[in-house]
Amino acid sequence: MRIRKKVGKAGRYRVSFLVLFSLVLSSSHGALSAAVARPSRTLVLAIPGEPKSFNELVAQETSTTQITGFLFEGLTRLNTETGETEGRLAERWEVSPDGLRWTFHLRRDVLWFDGTPFTTRDVLFTFNDLIYNPEIINAARDIFTVGGKHILVEPSDPYTVTFLLPSPFAPFLMAMGQSIYPEHVLKPAVTAERFSSAWGVDSDPAQIIGTGPFRIAKYLPGERVELVRNERYWQRDGEGRRLPYMQRIIFLIIPNPDLRLLKFLEGETDFHGLSGVDYPLLAPKMREKKFSLYDVGAQLGSNFLAFNQGCPDARKRSWFRSRIFRRAVAHSLDRPAMIDVLYGRMGVAQCSPLSPSTPFFFNRRISCYEYDPGRSISQLRGDGFIDSNADGWLEDKEGNPVELVLLTNAENPERVQMAGMIREDLARIGIKAHLLTVEFNSLVTKLVATHDWDAVLLGLTGEIDPHFGANVWLSSGSLHFWNAGAPEKISPWEGRIDEIFAKALGSLDRSARRDLYGEWQEIAARELPVIYTVLPRLTYAVRNRFTNLRPTVLGGPFHNIEWIDIRDV
Amino acid sequence: MSLGRYILRRVLAALPLIFLLPLLTFLLMHLVPGNYFDALRVNPQISPETVREYERLYHLDQPVLVQYLHWVANLLRFDLGYSFSYKIPVLNLLWTRLPNTLLLTGSAFLLAWVAAFILGLFAGLRRNSFVDGFLNVTACLGLAMPQFLLCMILLYGASRAGGIPLGGIRSAMNDDLSWIGKILDLSRHMFIPVTVLGLSSFAFLFRVMRAQTGEIKDKDFVLFLRASRIPEWKILMKHIARNAANPMVSLAGLELPALVGGAAIVEIFTGWPGLGSLMLQAVRTQDLFLVLGNMVMIAVILVAGNLAADLLLAAVDPRVRLLEKAHES
Repeated sequence: MRIRKKVGKAGRYRVSFLVLFSLVLSSSHGALSAAVARPSRTLVLAIPGEPKSFNELVAQETSTTQITGFLFEGLTRLNTETGETEGRLAERWEVSPDGLRWTFHLRRDVLWFDGTPFTTRDVLFTFNDLIYNPEIINAARDIFTVGGKHILVEPSDPYTVTFLLPSPFAPFLMAMGQSIYPEHVLKPAVTAERFSSAWGVDSDPAQIIGTGPFRIAKYLPGERVELVRNERYWQRDGEGRRLPYMQRIIFLIIPNPDLRLLKFLEGETDFHGLSGVDYPLLAPKMREKKFSLYDVGAQLGSNFLAFNQGCPDARKRSWFRSRIFRRAVAHSLDRPAMIDVLYGRMGVAQCSPLSPSTPFFFNRRISCYEYDPGRSISQLRGDGFIDSNADGWLEDKEGNPVELVLLTNAENPERVQMAGMIREDLARIGIKAHLLTVEFNSLVTKLVATHDWDAVLLGLTGEIDPHFGANVWLSSGSLHFWNAGAPEKISPWEGRIDEIFAKALGSLDRSARRDLYGEWQEIAARELPVIYTVLPRLTYAVRNRFTNLRPTVLGGPFHNIEWIDIRDV
Repeated sequence: MSLGRYILRRVLAALPLIFLLPLLTFLLMHLVPGNYFDALRVNPQISPETVREYERLYHLDQPVLVQYLHWVANLLRFDLGYSFSYKIPVLNLLWTRLPNTLLLTGSAFLLAWVAAFILGLFAGLRRNSFVDGFLNVTACLGLAMPQFLLCMILLYGASRAGGIPLGGIRSAMNDDLSWIGKILDLSRHMFIPVTVLGLSSFAFLFRVMRAQTGEIKDKDFVLFLRASRIPEWKILMKHIARNAANPMVSLAGLELPALVGGAAIVEIFTGWPGLGSLMLQAVRTQDLFLVLGNMVMIAVILVAGNLAADLLLAAVDPRVRLLEKAHES
């Protein structure tokens, strides 16, 4: 009798379980409808992180620049469709034959958001009071320090300014994309020595003043940024109407990638940057959800495997110094499998330090190391690596097992997965790799400070001008991590790369620069200080509401935002 | 001894917590290799000198204890330092997020308490009824299920069913709504986080209220009141409910830490822009002063909450006298 009672009770609980669940589900189902009519000419974007500041000179993170890119302009800008530098706040410029004297003629019709005219005073202020101000720590100063010296800025009238370079600096014109800031707004903050915390996320949006096509209307911390059209923007279309066409841009801050995808599918946002694995999910929904997919090409940047040629362990150091060893590893990587698994086939094999999407400088003649484990094994045998004790793993000439630790950072799940695949690839040719995932910061400490690592799987962001990779490629560079610290030996090819970078920096002849950097890419592919793996192809999903859409790898889906309009308004 | 002095005593007793908690955090953060500026080190466009300048600026090149003392000296001037990533005072940054966290925890707490009070009373009066069983199971679920799991179940349900926003605090077009539309929009966004956050508090408080009611309703004095022909609703409201509510007030103070802690998890899962999600990001990037500032803020909320609960209890229950107690101790 007692037992029965208990059973009965349990049964009742089970019923209430079901009731509870259906209650929970129905309450979420029946609630108020999500649809809110969307006003015309508004672009809604989801971004993963909130802006850390609106002061892009001191806060260089993408979370900041993806917003400030709409607010500020430089004298020039990179045309992301052609890869050429074009005039922006400067209408035209001249350069002296020795490349040391650049004169810019500014546009006369540019106003700051508050109506004040833009003049050379602002250019002078941006360089002398901000970038070169020793009290303000900023990365732009590193770019505009040429051979250890500053550039002199000399305005000759309100609309003409001359830059005097200490030595020729090839990427100067591109570097002049540097945003210009308003003197009349920021001068007090500089005088009071609080520029670095000016224009923080706690400031009044109306105080953030630029010349760009949009200005900030509202910022709700951690939630959204709203930009509105700058009615005073200088650019006009062919019919004389002021640009931009778009009225508003709303950025919703959504850290979770799955939520960003769902919000796009629900129609709340207009754009979603696909990772390869999203492709099969999104492609069939194009018609129903009214969007199109744009495959714009391989991502900029690089993913690579590198061995520590300055490894504290002398035995390992000798393996890693062997070019044959590195080539054998390059042949062992199954790049097609990586592309399939990691990017859902939307990827490319990388063979050069530059991504295939890099305009102008990418060397197309470089061939890749094909996947060929048999060849790897015979190459290694030729270099004295054989399985002498028949345990399935290789030993070196002295009979030491070839065993190493492959390091990568834990924050990037895709990279951790890639490291797992590389471990399998290495096992196939008899190299035992132990995977170690650490926090990004401790990985960096190992690479740049303690140098106690064997192999690392890492990625670097891409630069359009190879000169900006100099910190990595110069043998004295602070990021020359595969032979870092005080290298006991600099190989002849490393010396040649030093020469190439120095020469290319001083040359204004574009085709000569292309040849030099082409040779650098060939050396890198031959000597393999780093073994490149695979890059994802960028695919953009954009709602079918826009005209003049011309997405690019370099500039993203809305790089020509001034010209983008809504269809049928 | 006046009430003011009692409050002062309590605040002074809490001060060690506010200084020691950050010290512990300081030491733990230093066990982790690297620092915030490591991310700059791997940027090819930033020179090592620039990184060193940053470290000098924030005293990161000095021993841990010196760093801590610098920080405490600033804290005494109500200056929580600057955030590395945001470049603005930590206090300003926390102020921007605090309202959101308070809105979330405040409404979860209020709803949980009110629901627990009413339903607990009801279930206590009708023990072993179907409704009582149902509520009990809900309460057990609320206690047993980890918040992140409940959160994911609800998010999944909402994504399948539609109608309930999956994250964030307001929809993109919030500005174009009327004021009533804005409130509705906000409440739709609050549905999941408040449910998840409130359920475990509700479960705990509900079980207390139910047990209390069950006990009191059979007491002699209730029988006596009933015999004196006092109307049943009066007995219920004036005598049973009030007596049963006493522990509900003191327990409210205990529930606060759980709520504040749980809020962080819920915020992260639902993209609610509060202190918790800020904290997670700060810990990940090793934004040291932001983490410390956050710790201080949470400690202050807890101390204030507990104090408020004690004061409230004294106001509700005539048997509790804070001032005499304080004398004895």
